[in-house]
Amino acid sequence: MVGHARDTYPNECCGAMMGKTEGGTKVVRVGVPMQNAHEGSQAAMYVLKNEDLLAADAEARKRGLDLIGIYHSHPDCDAYFSETDLKNSCPWYSFVVISIKQGDFDHANSWLPDPDQTKADKEELDYGEADG
Amino acid sequence: MAKLMIPTPLRQFTGGQDAVEVEASTVGEALDKLTSRHTELRRHLFSDEGKLRSFVNVYMNDEDIRYLDRDKTAVAEGDTISIVPSIAGGTHVG
Repeated sequence: MVGHARDTYPNECCGAMMGKTEGGTKVVRVGVPMQNAHEGSQAAMYVLKNEDLLAADAEARKRGLDLIGIYHSHPDCDAYFSETDLKNSCPWYSFVVISIKQGDFDHANSWLPDPDQTKADKEELDYGEADG
Repeated sequence: MAKLMIPTPLRQFTGGQDAVEVEASTVGEALDKLTSRHTELRRHLFSDEGKLRSFVNVYMNDEDIRYLDRDKTAVAEGDTISIVPSIAGGTHVG
């Protein structure tokens, strides 16, 4: 996921996270890079294609995993959950935001939006060295 | 019977089932039956006014029902109905 974010810098990347919930903790096993379908500059915007998400859900089922979240990058910005993120989110998934500064990984946060898209709670995120 | 595929985070409202089969002749009827059987699911898919939430898309097999006949889209034996959220974002303002 971090490698994907680096590769797409200075544009935003996006993808899905497959894994399992173990003892109340969501564990990401596979990060699946997806196409940023935003038409226009992708430096500050991403759009996931519904068809890609549908395919990712089917793939997760095939692998015996669950689709547990979505990730995207914020080039040269902190990993906050922006107003744009919130208004275009879905409360079912965890949203990991990866901050890439000057092309290198800086930090990441995970967010859980509410159903009315009015706020997102920060989740505890353990990503170790995150150099992959 | 049509099969409704349940996204992972919503399976807590279907007793852990990843798919639910219902007898229905349209997609609208299938969603009604699903949410009547699993009432907690309703508020996650529909607004208080009874409309599908803005971020909820419904696919019949591989087709978005907005490009078919929306909730009146006919369902045949063995069809699969999927619930797919719209997702976008970024640091863009405005």
